[in-house]
Amino acid sequence: MIEIKNISKSFEGRDVLIDISTVFEKGKTNLIIGQSGSGKTVLLKSIVGLIEVDSGEVLFDGRDNRHMNFKEQKLLRQEIGMVFQNGALFDSLTVEENVRFPMDMFTNMSLKEKTTRLNFCLERVNIKDSNRLYPAEISGGMRKRVAIARAIALNPKYLFCDEPNSGLDPVTSILIDTLIKEITAEFDITTVINTHDMNSVMEIGDKILFISEGKKCWEGNSTQIFNTRNRKLNAFVFASPFSKKFKELRLMEDDE
Amino acid sequence: MRIFYHIGQYFLLLARVFKKPEKNSIYWRQLILEIEKLGINSVGIVAIISVFMGGIITLQLTYNMVSPLMPSYIIGLGNRDTLILEFSSTILSLMLAGKIGSNIASEIGSMRVTEQIDSMEIMGVNSASYLILPKIIAVVFISPLLFIISVTCGIFGGLFTGPLSGVVTVATYLNGITTTFNPFYVYFSIIKTLVFGFLIATVPAYLGYYVQGGALEVGRASTKSVVNTSILILFFDLVLTQLLFK
Repeated sequence: MIEIKNISKSFEGRDVLIDISTVFEKGKTNLIIGQSGSGKTVLLKSIVGLIEVDSGEVLFDGRDNRHMNFKEQKLLRQEIGMVFQNGALFDSLTVEENVRFPMDMFTNMSLKEKTTRLNFCLERVNIKDSNRLYPAEISGGMRKRVAIARAIALNPKYLFCDEPNSGLDPVTSILIDTLIKEITAEFDITTVINTHDMNSVMEIGDKILFISEGKKCWEGNSTQIFNTRNRKLNAFVFASPFSKKFKELRLMEDDE
Repeated sequence: MRIFYHIGQYFLLLARVFKKPEKNSIYWRQLILEIEKLGINSVGIVAIISVFMGGIITLQLTYNMVSPLMPSYIIGLGNRDTLILEFSSTILSLMLAGKIGSNIASEIGSMRVTEQIDSMEIMGVNSASYLILPKIIAVVFISPLLFIISVTCGIFGGLFTGPLSGVVTVATYLNGITTTFNPFYVYFSIIKTLVFGFLIATVPAYLGYYVQGGALEVGRASTKSVVNTSILILFFDLVLTQLLFK
């Protein structure tokens, strides 16, 4: 479980996050949604510790990373897996070496054990026959899947994904969403996803946090989102004619 | 005042770079790769430039210095000392600042803008140390070797050019390069190449590591790294010459 208590962050006098508090539960896919520039990425990076917050606390199962020494922080980071927007795979390493990198760095596993784990992770994300390819030689969807494989290589307790569907076609997006959802349940991890993909919101949003202009505007789940009267949220989620129609149909079904 | 900010940041980065590595075996493997990439791959260009420069220095000395009052062995001697004291240490380092420095700045800068460095940090890897330490060791280790290769090639360049163009005989040239040899010149230049090697690796690494933005900024950091490293090499050349020859 990740608990966020009153975190705020500003850059050069401009408030980007204002007093945000929430709880991301274990075994669930928690989504952070909001318009571009609303502070989603800053929030995600603040949670993982890439950006230092001005005030507030982020507790990982009760542990505040701001009160940890260097060694403890390092150990906490080994419990975190993160999938970046463009995968952030290491260009100079092959697919296989990318996934094995955390194992090489932090474990004393034998080569055989590492290979077994590597094959498991790659099979889990449906990557076949691409072990020796470099990131530049594989598609965007594959890069994301390899990034997920690398993120789960060390059995993380917390998984963070920054816009995992950006730049992907709808079919691949659904595959990635399903994969993240399955992995979250299978490994019982706390997953936090930063997205503005409405399919993800509807399909995998166990918990949804909507932020607007740096403030928490609404939180709930994918069922509650249809009945909300929050104007900003409605304007964001049901912005397209298609999603408006979808909402109407869904509400009609509920009435029946 | 901005310069003090950069100096402070540079030393803070170095403090992170020289922290104990996570796993020695991984760093060792990186070191071998960097020696190959930054050092071995530079041998060819160093050799070619040095051969030509050795030849050019020989011709210049012949046409501008030799007179009936000067012994002709001065050509070999002048070529040797020019190569040892300045060309193979300073000028070669300026050239390496362009080749290796831009490579380091653009490589690390690209990793920064594509979030590869963030991804390492999230895993708990000391990205500064993992990315920069092997490069520093590789460049500092390879610089004296490139210096020796350069001096050797330069002397051979003179040996080919002088007799071929008929300005000096092989025997006179060889007499020149063995006359009044002062080993201190070699030690002095090796010290210089070690310092310059450190600058060639760290200044571009610093500029690449803290780059913000996209491809355009990476290109700018790369150019800036060559300019700044070159200025620092010349500055330290001045300081070291004054300190070591005093």
